[in-house]
Amino acid sequence: MSIILKGVMQSTVTPLREDFSLDTPTFERLLDFHVRTGATAISWPHHKGESLNLTMAERKHFAEVAVKVVAGRVPVSIHVSALALEDSMMLARHARQIGADAIIAITPYFWRPTSEAIYDYFVALGTSVDLPLIAYNSPHRLGAEFTGDLIARLIERLPNLIAMKEAGFISEKFVEIARVVHAMKPSFSMIAGVEFLAPSVPLGCVGSYSAAGAICPNLCTELYEACISGQSAIARELQYKMIRLWDLFREQYPSSLKGGMVLMGRPVGPTRPPLPTASRERQAFIAEELRDLGILESEPHGW
Amino acid sequence: MSIFTPGLVHTPVTPFTPDRRIDFDRYAQLIEFHLQYGAESLAVPMHAGESVSLTDEEQQALLEATIRQVAGRVPVIAHASDSGTAIACARAARAEAAGAAALVATTPNNRSTTTPMIVEHFAQIAAAVRIPFFVHYAPDEMGAPKFNTELVLKLIERIENLAGLIDSSQDWQFMISMILHAKRRRPEFQLLSGVEYMVPAGAVGATSLFSSLAGVAPLLVKRLYDLCRRETYFEARKPQEEVSALRQVFKNEGAAGLKAAMKAMGRDCGEPRRPLLALDTPACEKIAAALAALPFLKDEPRGW
Repeated sequence: MSIILKGVMQSTVTPLREDFSLDTPTFERLLDFHVRTGATAISWPHHKGESLNLTMAERKHFAEVAVKVVAGRVPVSIHVSALALEDSMMLARHARQIGADAIIAITPYFWRPTSEAIYDYFVALGTSVDLPLIAYNSPHRLGAEFTGDLIARLIERLPNLIAMKEAGFISEKFVEIARVVHAMKPSFSMIAGVEFLAPSVPLGCVGSYSAAGAICPNLCTELYEACISGQSAIARELQYKMIRLWDLFREQYPSSLKGGMVLMGRPVGPTRPPLPTASRERQAFIAEELRDLGILESEPHGW
Repeated sequence: MSIFTPGLVHTPVTPFTPDRRIDFDRYAQLIEFHLQYGAESLAVPMHAGESVSLTDEEQQALLEATIRQVAGRVPVIAHASDSGTAIACARAARAEAAGAAALVATTPNNRSTTTPMIVEHFAQIAAAVRIPFFVHYAPDEMGAPKFNTELVLKLIERIENLAGLIDSSQDWQFMISMILHAKRRRPEFQLLSGVEYMVPAGAVGATSLFSSLAGVAPLLVKRLYDLCRRETYFEARKPQEEVSALRQVFKNEGAAGLKAAMKAMGRDCGEPRRPLLALDTPACEKIAAALAALPFLKDEPRGW
């Protein structure tokens, strides 16, 4: 039960047909595209994968597809967060059955739980299945968050807690979590949400769950390489480029991202309501930005 | 206007006598300490110096005492924030007349400010002086509306002498987007870190650091800052984590905790002014014990 997480990892979007049903052949193509263009791990379905708008049956089906298509080329982790803990545990057991390499879970939705409640939730989930567990911290989205003390208690209790996706993007919080976990467990992987690598890699971050990888895998890799090789000035310029993309895609996330994929020759269909689907006007605006950033020329087009 | 880069800015506490008057003798000693231990600029009186608990006259007297004591050895930045725009403007003009090298102001205290109000407030303060002006964005302390890139671009458009933004939000999304677009509009615009998290801030473009922890561990803060200015961020990780560990010891106690920590290091600057309460003896002992347990403080100066 050991996997190595580092580099530019891809959390894929969920391709849909025009009637909003799952588009399995396109999902297979997308997974393969990510692996061929340098993804060091695959994870599905994060919020970018519209996890909140998928049924349990759909989540199980695409989890099976992901494991089958990736076929051991890189590790596959399955995001198991759900409103009900019982659903999360069911998805975790399913991930184990189909041969996934790890599960990932965010702090529980909706209730804004206390630290003690988050601890209890993760202990229940982490002890329910014999798989590595990745904790997912996203305080902006949920108003509940991990602290250094809380994650330390969980590491002590759960030998299978191996990593955290950190999407708070606040210096002190990142430093405090990284400082505490690395002192306790040097192999613990801190992974940045989105591509905030320039500020986090010097602090021990090992990679990112990419937001823009479906649009510009080359740029994502260049940024990561500049960061880990300590080329600060280059990393900063690439990070500036990346923030323009994040500012572009975070609005109506992941609708705008899916809209951008159309322009890159990798259409993945609409976004499920209540999220909007990128309109033609929005796509035209995205096209202008991608052209200005040089993405249309420097990144792969099509599958 | 020439570019003024403040560098490593120490933000001293304000020492008080037992009857809570400013202790100017002790303050002179404190300024010498900061100069001896690496301050490239001084900013007074910032919140660490209990600025909001000082009268207008006291703030001016403290600034003048600083400028006299420093005697041109480093630049002195004057903090001129106030809830009232006119009061802040008058304070700013007096600071410039006293010889301040630059000015800093935060959003107004305790007001439900809107973006146009913030822009107007800063524009009027900046217009009261000709020296470089820095905006301090400290959302946790001030409760002001969240800044975004658009607001900063509006400030740049309105304020000719706006030299940069001191960021205490530590928010990567804001810092990166803001400095990218601000520099496109005004290439000499600076991002300065308002807290000692210099590794992430420096990596995304911050060039100066405002530090209150320098009163407790000036060698550690300087080591962190110097490594970041050389852009050797991997090497800076260790001092960054040490500074963070130090900050956790007393950050919840605010200015009272900072003074207790300085006392534990042999630099007694008295108790804070009301409404802040001095920490009781067990709380002070707890901080002293926690500092004693930090191995990286062993080389830090004790006493003056």
